[in-house]
Amino acid sequence: MFNSISMCKTLKSCNVLFYKRNFSISTKLLDTNSSDASITSEKSGFAKSFEKQSQLLQEESVPKHNFASLLRNSKLIDLGDPKDKIVIGKIFHVVEDDLYIDFGWKFHCVCTRPTNRKDDYVRGARVRIQIKDLELSSRFLGSNTDLTLLEADCKLLGIISSPIRPTTSEKSS
Amino acid sequence: MIRRCLILPLRNGITVCRNNSTAVAEQAESTQESNTPAKNPLDHPDYFQVHNLFTVKDLFDARVHFGHKEGSLNEFMTPYIYGSRQGHLIFDLDITAEHLRKALNFTAHIAYRGGIVCFFNRNALNAHLVEKTALECGEYAHTRFWRGGIFTNADHQFGAITRLPDLCIFLNTQNNILNQHTAVRDSAKLLIPTIGIVDSNCNPNLITYPVPGNDDTPVAIELYCKLFKAAITRGKEARMKFLQENN
Repeated sequence: MFNSISMCKTLKSCNVLFYKRNFSISTKLLDTNSSDASITSEKSGFAKSFEKQSQLLQEESVPKHNFASLLRNSKLIDLGDPKDKIVIGKIFHVVEDDLYIDFGWKFHCVCTRPTNRKDDYVRGARVRIQIKDLELSSRFLGSNTDLTLLEADCKLLGIISSPIRPTTSEKSS
Repeated sequence: MIRRCLILPLRNGITVCRNNSTAVAEQAESTQESNTPAKNPLDHPDYFQVHNLFTVKDLFDARVHFGHKEGSLNEFMTPYIYGSRQGHLIFDLDITAEHLRKALNFTAHIAYRGGIVCFFNRNALNAHLVEKTALECGEYAHTRFWRGGIFTNADHQFGAITRLPDLCIFLNTQNNILNQHTAVRDSAKLLIPTIGIVDSNCNPNLITYPVPGNDDTPVAIELYCKLFKAAITRGKEARMKFLQENN
């Protein structure tokens, strides 16, 4: 039994020596590669396989452009149930106290101008809105189809940026 | 005098001349023999390369795939719908792209033959853009109130003998949310081919080349205007080149 233990110890030391030798061999290879590269521009061995592997990883990240994958990765699907979700919109038209806000959906929404910071709400301002309903449409009694208002229903939460009042980052740039 | 209408013969030698009013039939001048070695644009599936004008991604970015809610769906639009997301319908853009390619090819051919195109849109949000597009490509637009007999009673309403459009492009087939535009029915009556952007609440039956898609968002209408303008411009340029080569 004691002989076997001593055998294990020797084996272990042999293994350590084996790994050390391998490491030194690999570094030797790298040195030869760098010296080779300076002489000729060809790569071989580890450097060549490293290049090939990194290129493979880059090719995988090309996005697919067929409709099914575009839809699956779109913001509409990320939204989930649109009720009570907060999105960012942009004011594209102003009529006195009504703000027409476009947030990337089929319809725009119309909100009344809030009382605080009222002068910041101009065309081109980015605002935060909470979606109540993506399309104001309902079926009335006696009709075959719904009647739509061609508008979304949202609550205006606040302003993000306005062309009237430039932020500090915009001032510095 | 520049001849406004150049009628090219079809393959079997019969010339086509269509009268929409009580005008005297225009003289059909054939500049080519029927069995000519020069290529006939009608033989080619995409003579003006309008298929390169857009991709499915362009349609997607312009929000063409958004439809109305399920409750306002017209039953005839179900073949064009991909599905419904939380009650909102989504158009299948592969089907839309195919229909749009056919429509653009047809537009370019009509412009090549020297036809008059008329744009229609009754959505006040986009009316100005449509009128501007028509002006830029040298064609016509009607985005205001439509008096009943503009097509059917043209000679009386305009006082003189009128030439009606050879193609009607509807960027919105609805007049208001309840009714379809009268010109859709009248064009079908007078055998004027129509192209129409049909949304999920529209009826595509009377339209020759329906293009299922969004007709409410200004971004989508901008894209359609850009594409139709490009198709018409290509047709007209090819026509100019053809006339210069033969004179």
